[in-house]
Amino acid sequence: MTVMDEAFWGARAGSIDALERELGRLRRAAVAHAKERGQALARASVLNLVVYAEREIHARRAARAVADLALRHPSRAIIVLGDRSREGVLASLQLHCHVPQSDGAQPVLYEQILARVRGDFDERVASVVIPLLVPDLPVFLWWTGTPPSDARHVDDLVTLADRLIVDSADFARADLTLPEVARLARLRVGITDLNWARLTHWRELIAQFFDVPTWRPFLDGITGIRAGFAVDMDGRDIHPSQALLLLGWMASRLGWRPVEALAPSEAGGVLFKMARSDNAAVMVRLRPRFERGLDTGDVSGVRIQAALGRESAEFVIKRAPDQRHATATAVVGGVVRAERVVPLPALGIRELLVEELAIAGNDHVYEAALAALMALA
Amino acid sequence: MTVTLANPLREGLRLARTPEPASLVIFGASGDLTSRKLVPALYNLALQHLLPASFGVIGSARRAMTEDVFRAELHDAVAEFSRTRPINEEVWTTFARSIRYVPTPDESGFNELGRVLARVDGEIGANGNRLFYLATPPAAYEPIIRAIGAHGLRGASGWSRVVVEKPYGHDLDSAMRLTSVVQEVFREDEVFRIDHYLGKETVQNILVLRFANSIFEPIWTRQFVDHVQITAAESIGIEERAGYYDSAGAMRDIVQNHLLQLLALVGMEPPSAFDDRSVRDEKVKVLRALRQIAPEEVGELTVRGQYGQGFIGGERVVGYRDEPGVAPNSQTETYVALKCFIDNWRWEGTPFYIRTGKRLPKRSTEIAIRFRVAPHRIFTREASEGLDANELVIRIQPDEGISLTFGAKVPVQGLRIRSVNMDFGYGESFMVDAPDSYETLILDALRGDATLFTRRDEVEQQWAFVDPILAGWHAGRQELATYAAGTWGPEQADALIARDSRTWRRP
Ligand SMILES: NC(=O)c1ccc[n+]([C@@H]2O[C@H](COP(=O)([O-])OP(=O)(O)OC[C@H]3O[C@@H](n4cnc5c(N)ncnc54)[C@H](OP(=O)(O)O)[C@@H]3O)[C@@H](O)[C@H]2O)c1
Repeated sequence: MTVMDEAFWGARAGSIDALERELGRLRRAAVAHAKERGQALARASVLNLVVYAEREIHARRAARAVADLALRHPSRAIIVLGDRSREGVLASLQLHCHVPQSDGAQPVLYEQILARVRGDFDERVASVVIPLLVPDLPVFLWWTGTPPSDARHVDDLVTLADRLIVDSADFARADLTLPEVARLARLRVGITDLNWARLTHWRELIAQFFDVPTWRPFLDGITGIRAGFAVDMDGRDIHPSQALLLLGWMASRLGWRPVEALAPSEAGGVLFKMARSDNAAVMVRLRPRFERGLDTGDVSGVRIQAALGRESAEFVIKRAPDQRHATATAVVGGVVRAERVVPLPALGIRELLVEELAIAGNDHVYEAALAALMALA
Repeated sequence: MTVTLANPLREGLRLARTPEPASLVIFGASGDLTSRKLVPALYNLALQHLLPASFGVIGSARRAMTEDVFRAELHDAVAEFSRTRPINEEVWTTFARSIRYVPTPDESGFNELGRVLARVDGEIGANGNRLFYLATPPAAYEPIIRAIGAHGLRGASGWSRVVVEKPYGHDLDSAMRLTSVVQEVFREDEVFRIDHYLGKETVQNILVLRFANSIFEPIWTRQFVDHVQITAAESIGIEERAGYYDSAGAMRDIVQNHLLQLLALVGMEPPSAFDDRSVRDEKVKVLRALRQIAPEEVGELTVRGQYGQGFIGGERVVGYRDEPGVAPNSQTETYVALKCFIDNWRWEGTPFYIRTGKRLPKRSTEIAIRFRVAPHRIFTREASEGLDANELVIRIQPDEGISLTFGAKVPVQGLRIRSVNMDFGYGESFMVDAPDSYETLILDALRGDATLFTRRDEVEQQWAFVDPILAGWHAGRQELATYAAGTWGPEQADALIARDSRTWRRP
C-alpha cells in the first residue's frame, strides 16, 4: 500500500516541517536537473489549489488534472483525501509530496502535496492545510463530489478559500443538484460550478446573434426555446441540469417568469411555459437525446424561435459538422442570413478549470440564473 | 435603424470584446502583409469566437483576380502563417464565405466596390459599419483615401474608420500632408494609425506594471533612476525589403515609431484613465518634453552604423551593401544609438540611451531601468565587489518578462555580496500563447478603441524629433560607422555611453 502510494503520490514525510524540508530538497534537485539540460526553472506560482476528495479515485483523477493544469497555472496543489472508510481508527495524517519533472520545452516547478486524513478528521483538517498554503496567493478550493450541507470541515476549508469550485454534474442526485448548488450560497464564497462553465461557449454564441443590431429586437419577441441534452444509450441517466442552467440564464437576463410546468414530456424531457415581460408566452422544451461522444447532460443544440410583428426568425446552434464544432445559423424571414462554423473544444476538467481560474470575482450572472431556476421549481 | 439598447445577454460573458457586425475592406489585399498578418489574424479571431456573428471581408488591389483564386491564396497563407496550426478547415470554409474580392484598378472599380459594400451590408446586417484597412505601399494611401471619399464608400449609417499602416509619412511634412488628406474623408477619431508594437501584450504590460502597482511609481524618477536603456536588436538583415529599407533606414523604420513609443510609455506621467484620450494625451506630453537633438549635436549625441559582413549563429552573412537591391555605396543606416533627455520635473538630467540595429547577435527588445547605487556604502569594497546597481528589465521580445537584480549575501562564512536575479516570465506564469498583435489591433479598431493606435499629434512629435537628426546626418555631421554583422554595433556606440562612464547592457 505504502509503496504503491509513494509511486503515485511521492515521498512520504512524517510531519509538516519534514514535508517542507523535503519539498526544498526536491526543488533544488529539479533546478539542478533543468540546469543540466540548459534550462532555467521557473518557480512562478500563481495560486494555491486545495482539492478535497473522499475517494482515492477522485483524488487521483484530480491530481492528474491539476498536474496538467500546472502547465497553465503554476501552483502548489494540496490534495486532501478524507478517508472515512476505517471507522474507529484514531485520527491520523499521512503526507506525501512530489515535484513532477516536466520534460516539455518549458519546465515548470509545480508542487503537489497529498494529505491523507483518516478517522475523525472534521475538526483538524484545516489545521493541516493552513501551514501548507503559499502565502499571498489566492486559494481555490475544489470540492469533488457533493459538499455536505452541514459539516465543520466544509466551513473550515471554505473559510480559507477565495473561491469554491464544484461540479454540479457530479452531484449524487440529479434532481437535487440545483437546489444543492443554491444552498452553497450560504457559504459566502465565490462559487464556480464547472457545469456552468461548460455553457460558456453556448452563451457566447447565443449572445453574439443579438450583438447584430438588426437582430437584437428579436430578443423581445422570443416565442420558444428548444434545447437538447445528452443521455446515455438506454436513456436512464437523465441529467438536465446544464440545459436548465442555460434556460435559467436566458430567463434571468430577459426577465421571464415561470408560468407552469407542463408535465414531463417524452422520455424524461421537460416542458415549460414561461411568460415574457410583456406577458406573451415562451414555450420551452428540453429534450434528452442520445449523442455519441458527449458526456451525460451536455447540451447538444439550441433553437430559439422569435417573431417581431410579421417577421419571424430562428437562431440555431447545432453541434455540426461534428461534436467538436458548432454551426450557428440565423434565419430571418425564412432566409439564412448568417451561418458559420466555430470550434467547440472538448472541455475536460483541465480546460474548465483553466477558464475558471482566470477569473477571480463572483459570477452574479450565474447566481441570477440559479435564482431563476429555483423560482421555476 | 439604430439600436442603441445594449444586448442583455452580454453581461458577465468573458469574451466581452466581440465587435458589432461590420465590413472590413482591405486595400492591398494581394500583398504580403495581408497574407502574413491580417488574414491569419482574422482567422484566429474567428477560431476564438471573437468575430461578430455576421462579418464581411472585402479584399481589393489593382490586379484582376477571381474570388476563388483570392480565397485559395488566403487559405494557403493561413495554413502557412497562422499561429495556430493546422488550419481548421471547417472553420475556414464558413469564414471564407464571408470573403470577397473587388479589383480597383480605376474609378469603375471603386464604383463596383461601393455596390458590393451596399450589398454586403444588407446581407450581414452591418448597418453601414465599415473598417477600411490601408495595407498598400504608402504611395497609394492618398489616392485610395480620396477615392473612398469621392465614391461615397463611407456607409450612409453606422461608423466608418480607417486603419493606416506604417510608415506614416517619411518626415514631418509628409506626415502632416497625409493627415490633411485623411481628414478630407475621416475625422481624427476615425483614424487608426498602426504601430504594431503597441499591440504586443508586453508593451501594454509596461502600463500595467507602472500603474497597477504602487511600488514602482515612487522610484520611477530622476532621484532613483540613474539612466534608462531601450534596445531593439534584430539578428535578421533586411530580407526582401531592400527597396523600402534603403530609402528609410533604421531611424525611420524603428526609432521614429517603435522606440519612441516605448520611450513614451516608460517616461509618461500616469494617465487619469486607461482610455484612448488620457493615455495618448500623456504620451504626447512626454514626447513634447523630449529634448530635440539639433543638427549640430548629432556628432555628440547620436551614432549611425551600417553592418558589414560577419557571422550570425555560425553562418556567414553578407554586408548591407552586398544585399540584393541595395546600392553599393548606400549611406543608409542599419544601426542607430541615441542619447536623449526628457526635460521635465520627473526626468531632468536622466539620460535615456536608445539603440536599434539589424544583424546584431540576437533578437531582443527590452527596456532596462538602471537605479542609482545605494547612497552610502556600509560594506567593504572587497565584500561588495560582485555587486551592481539594481536594475529592472522589461523584456518585450522574445521571452517576455520582467527581472530585477539586487544584491544578496553569498552563503559562505564572512561577507560577500553578489548581484542576483529575480525573474518573472509571462510565459511561465500564465502559460498561454499571447495573441498576435494584429489580432489585438484589428479587434480594437473594430470596436473603436484607439488607445493602442498613434494619434496625429503623436506622429507629428515623433517626426519633429527625428527630422533634425536626419538633417544633421544629411549635412555630414556624423560619419556612418560600420560594424561587423553579429556584433553589438559600432565602437562609436560604446564610446557614446562610455563618455558618461556607463556601458550598454548585454541583452
Ligand atoms: N509585410 C509586412 O510584414 C509589413 C509589416 C509592417 C508594415 N507593412 C506595411 O504594409 C504595407 C503593405 O506592405 P506589403 O509588404 O504587404 O506590400 P506588398 O506585398 O508589396 O503588397 C502591396 C499591396 O498593395 C497593392 N498595391 C500596390 N501598389 C498599389 C497602388 N498604387 N494602388 C493600390 N494598390 C496597390 C498590391 O496589389 P496590386 O499591385 O495588385 O495593386 C498589393 O496587394 C506597406 O505600407 C508596409 O510598409 C508591412
